[in-house]
Amino acid sequence: MQTKTLRRWNNAIHRDTGYLCIGMTLIYAISGIVLNHFKSGDLIHPDYAKSYKEVVLPLPKDGNVTEAYVFSVLDRLGEKDHYKSHVLGTNSLEIFLSMGSVYIDLTNGSAQVEKKTPLYGIREFNLLHYNNIKKLYTWFSDLYALALIFMAITGMFVLKGKNGILKRGAWLTLIGILLPALFLLFYA
Amino acid sequence: MTRKLLFSIEIMVLILSACNMGSKGLDPGDAVKVAVASFEQQAAGIVEKTVVIEGTVLHTCKHGGKRMFLVDGNDSVRVEVTAGKDIPKFDEKLIGSRLRVLGVLKEEKIDEKYLNEWENEVKKPEENHDAGVHTGAKGHEDQGTQDKLDQINSLREDLKNSGKDHLSFYSIEASKFEEIKK
Repeated sequence: MQTKTLRRWNNAIHRDTGYLCIGMTLIYAISGIVLNHFKSGDLIHPDYAKSYKEVVLPLPKDGNVTEAYVFSVLDRLGEKDHYKSHVLGTNSLEIFLSMGSVYIDLTNGSAQVEKKTPLYGIREFNLLHYNNIKKLYTWFSDLYALALIFMAITGMFVLKGKNGILKRGAWLTLIGILLPALFLLFYA
Repeated sequence: MTRKLLFSIEIMVLILSACNMGSKGLDPGDAVKVAVASFEQQAAGIVEKTVVIEGTVLHTCKHGGKRMFLVDGNDSVRVEVTAGKDIPKFDEKLIGSRLRVLGVLKEEKIDEKYLNEWENEVKKPEENHDAGVHTGAKGHEDQGTQDKLDQINSLREDLKNSGKDHLSFYSIEASKFEEIKK
């Protein structure tokens, strides 16, 4: 087969594999940014946006936490309709709401109100990124990874001439390999 | 073309939703019924047995959602539940919900070798979150290196005082769970 025909096939397969990979690439890239910043401590949770408010609440009479006390607290916070359950700790009370919680220090009444909002879409992307689904998805994501390897290899031969792998492409490819290697060298 | 694309996406969403129904419809069969309050006392005699337990979710692990802790009324006893292969994750929306969980009771033996390996893991720049003993206590996932080293030293002390060559920690590897609606 002539070089010209080979390159035409290479480019056609590279193009179509690229189209097939768009969906998964976006999923992994978007989720990757989120998980990256979660791991580095910039985000509290990868699936939920959270906000906190510090308040001081009255303590229960006689030190006994009753259902009436729990609901009086929620009434004061305007969260009565969002009650799920509550759990007593040593000198603390945690009230769970449908989208948050209230943590009360029973020694001094200081409390933290947590509100959370699901990051719709990103939550599902993270599920795929972590491969929590397993089963057939393991093979599907392996296939995607193989497709990326294939794309990287065929990508080197898309162009010829001054922008090809033997000239400009060689330098850019080298930079792309050296950068992660330098991070490993200096940080790992 | 756009209509065809939207239709295909709709079909995919329906298939994925159908696949996610795995944890519904729990039949305990002849599973051993265990309670949160007496879990520690019951656990030693039923390792590797199928058990069913009910409790309120106190915490779910934010690193992938593969672990949660059940309590009952107060947090003095926390039962660790890990996600089996058919459970994608324990979503944080479960926190505060009352669940019935079916699974196999597992024992983890913590000995000197385990503690040494855990200590090495804690001291690495990129620590493996799965290493070590998870307590489910508030803020345990945000512990610093020193807090973890203190926990390891405390376990070394417990191990020494126990007079045995290992400490046992019990958990349940869940195969199914369902929410108990009030």
